[in-house]
Amino acid sequence: MESRVQVKQPPLNAPGISDDLSETCKMSSPNGRLTHKFEDEVLFSPEISYHQPESTMAARGSHSGVSAAVRSETLGGIIYRSIRLVVFSNRVNLLMPFGPLAILVQKLTGHHGWVFGLSLLGIMPLAERLGYATEQLAFFTGDTVGGLLNATFGNATELIISLYALKSGLMRVVQLSLLGSILSNMLLVLGCAFLSGGIVYNKKEQVFNKAAATVNSGLLLMAVMGLLFPAVLHYTRTEVHFGKSELALSRFSSCVMLVAYAAYLFFQLKSQSRLYISVNEEEGETGDNSNDDESPEISKWESIIWLSVMTAWISILSEYLVGAIEGASNAWNIPVTFISVILLPLVGNAAEHASAIMFAMKDKLDISLGVAIGSSTQISMFVIPFCVVMGWIMGQPLDLNFQLFETAALFLTVIVVAFMLQEGTANYFKGLMLVLCYLIVAASFYVHVDSNSEDQHVT
Amino acid sequence: MESRVQVKQPPLNAPGISDDLSETRKMNSLNGRLTDKFEDEVPFSPEITYHQPGSTLAARGSHSGESPAVHRETLGGIIYRSIRLVVFSNRLNLLMPFGPLAILVQKLTGHHGWVFSLSLLGIMPLAERLGYATEQLAFYTGDTVGGLLNATFGNATELIISLYALKSGLLRVVQLSLLGSILSNMLLVLGCAFLSGGIVFNKKEQVFNKAAATVNSGLLLMAVMGLLFPAVLHYTRTEVHFGKSELALSRFSSCVMLVAYAAYLFFQLKSQSRLYIAVNEEEGEAGDNSNDDESPEISKWESIIWLSVMTAWISILSEYLVGAIEGASNAWNIPVTFISVILLPLVGNAAEHASAIMFAMKDKLDISLGVAIGSSTQISMFVIPFCVVMGWIMRQPLDLNFQLFETAALFLTVIVVAFMLQEGTANYFKGLMLVLCYLIVAASFYVHVDSNSEDQHVT
Repeated sequence: MESRVQVKQPPLNAPGISDDLSETCKMSSPNGRLTHKFEDEVLFSPEISYHQPESTMAARGSHSGVSAAVRSETLGGIIYRSIRLVVFSNRVNLLMPFGPLAILVQKLTGHHGWVFGLSLLGIMPLAERLGYATEQLAFFTGDTVGGLLNATFGNATELIISLYALKSGLMRVVQLSLLGSILSNMLLVLGCAFLSGGIVYNKKEQVFNKAAATVNSGLLLMAVMGLLFPAVLHYTRTEVHFGKSELALSRFSSCVMLVAYAAYLFFQLKSQSRLYISVNEEEGETGDNSNDDESPEISKWESIIWLSVMTAWISILSEYLVGAIEGASNAWNIPVTFISVILLPLVGNAAEHASAIMFAMKDKLDISLGVAIGSSTQISMFVIPFCVVMGWIMGQPLDLNFQLFETAALFLTVIVVAFMLQEGTANYFKGLMLVLCYLIVAASFYVHVDSNSEDQHVT
Repeated sequence: MESRVQVKQPPLNAPGISDDLSETRKMNSLNGRLTDKFEDEVPFSPEITYHQPGSTLAARGSHSGESPAVHRETLGGIIYRSIRLVVFSNRLNLLMPFGPLAILVQKLTGHHGWVFSLSLLGIMPLAERLGYATEQLAFYTGDTVGGLLNATFGNATELIISLYALKSGLLRVVQLSLLGSILSNMLLVLGCAFLSGGIVFNKKEQVFNKAAATVNSGLLLMAVMGLLFPAVLHYTRTEVHFGKSELALSRFSSCVMLVAYAAYLFFQLKSQSRLYIAVNEEEGEAGDNSNDDESPEISKWESIIWLSVMTAWISILSEYLVGAIEGASNAWNIPVTFISVILLPLVGNAAEHASAIMFAMKDKLDISLGVAIGSSTQISMFVIPFCVVMGWIMRQPLDLNFQLFETAALFLTVIVVAFMLQEGTANYFKGLMLVLCYLIVAASFYVHVDSNSEDQHVT
């Protein structure tokens, strides 16, 4: 794909140093989403040049030519330009029509298989645009709130889908889809990133920042601990009140894990300045990105509006998606577990997947790691406990007992990945190993029947 | 608390170097107990100055003014001074009257709840004084025997309580209290130490000696292996003689683990001189501490006498404690597992807990690690196998099958802690994570009913 970005580099800082700084920023910043969308060809606005985005906390773009134009545009012009920027600037957005198409098919035929497939494809571009809108908004809110924003909305798609499934009482789907998202991020996305980066740079070993990877691995282990105890408790039938104790334990553990995640965000924000003052003193505070060389592309209110629009669209499509899961499972003759664990996250993470690979191929492995492992940490320490607490509020008995097989799979994956990451280097063989591990996991889930069939709705 | 110790440092060695040496000595010395008691105010003897204890192998004290006075004292004076030193020099000893009070309550009312808590509180100061007496005795016995002494008596309290429980046939209590002591040491004590040290020194990351931590983690993993095989064997019902094979396996494994522990002691003693000849050549052999700058505070025979007195007292109180466990469980409506795993070790380790936190706040993280991880290693590789062997002698069928839930909890904890320690640095977030993990573990045991109820006495 042609890319105009190499031509216009930000003139204010030495590109190499600022890249490293933002890489480390990305690795440690509490978000799991990446902006690479500007790499794609800009179809409709040749006068706007996009810079290579290196930090989701501050998407870089310089369009000095546009800023002057903004002021003289009318409201209609603003809307037109906004739509052009947001909707038409990315090739993934070609999939956008599938969303309304899915709704149409549902209303016309009610064929769940088709509805499921189409809504899956329709959600993909929306998820990606949601990330874009989040990053744009992060420009205006400053470092702290921006970080929090990314930390919360980074996996907004998974969160929305899970909340809809929770509302419908499909608790097993919630557990399995979140679990699958973690597995996919840790094995598939990371493995592909290592693999592609290693193939491109097969003369040397790529390095990444060990410290942040270690903190994330520690958090993942803690999350596994939070998941393992209810599962083993239930499995060994040693709870005080059968069926109820593990729910209470899950809710308590979820609160503890949310506290840990909040402390993690706090720790990250506090340590960012301390850690990176030495990396590039000229860059100053890592949060000071408002006017140096990056400027947002859409205004603050546009970001908020687009954020709401995308969230609303994703919610609508998620409803159709969730409603069609069992039907699709019957139509395609695939277990619901496989759909939840493998297929759902595959498209939910598609954008992150692509960006992680791209950054690995550019030797910016810290960013890829930030995408993959940071997203896993976010899901395991924030989304899962949050869903349990929301289930508590909604009166749904969602607990952390993911059943023994799934919990064992997660535990093993975390151990393997933590071990792989502790060295601080990457090569194509490590990537290949991770991808093959994911193949084994996927195959296991293909032949895995859920033991808790009473939790699922039978159509 | 006011402390006179900063004023009078030992004049013979540069304080900084000797502190480092004793820190490393402490980290590698075979004990899990610390003397910080001298930090407390001495209410009754203003003329005796205590130095900041830097090594449990040789508690430092200099009271040159005292030595001439000793020769002139009568036996009564010696006894009086001894009692004053040992019994009244620590604020913790205010809890001492609870011991006899517990016995009184038991004889008068027989209310198990009260007896249990009173004896629990009464044992706390005795355990601490026992450690003090052990260190004093270590002065006179030289390095080797002193190290062995500390290695054996370091967890004497847990050992005594376990032997009493073993004698009463409360095998499950033995297993659970020892398990709880390991978990409490590794998660709570270590976590609090990291947390408090990190909060005090939040500008930098504290470092500790990775090598010793790694050796201890390896030993802990080996202990987990020794515990895991009987548990899984029993759980999968794949043993040759059901119920008997795992006992034979446990006894064999215990002997192997005791051999490993003996080798560990041997390795530590041999390597101490080799490792620290480079640290401070002026200090000479690490064991040469008899007359340089540290002198014991009580004579050799006093130490032995106090050692015996404390041991006897702890034994008496342990008998009452163990006898009151089930009664307390019924009275307070808490599972016996929770009492054994969480409450018993909480007070058993109270003194070590306080000293670990104190040393972490003084940036002597190696000592804190020595306390926490060293104590865990000691319990897992020495006390547990020793109890199994004692059970073999006493004809009690204590085995290493801790049941699946407990073994899984231990395994997970060892993995998490080993992972945390491998980096060699500490900050407040790691400490917070460890403490939160302990909360999850404690919550799990709160809702955990023991499946092996036939091993427990039912009152």
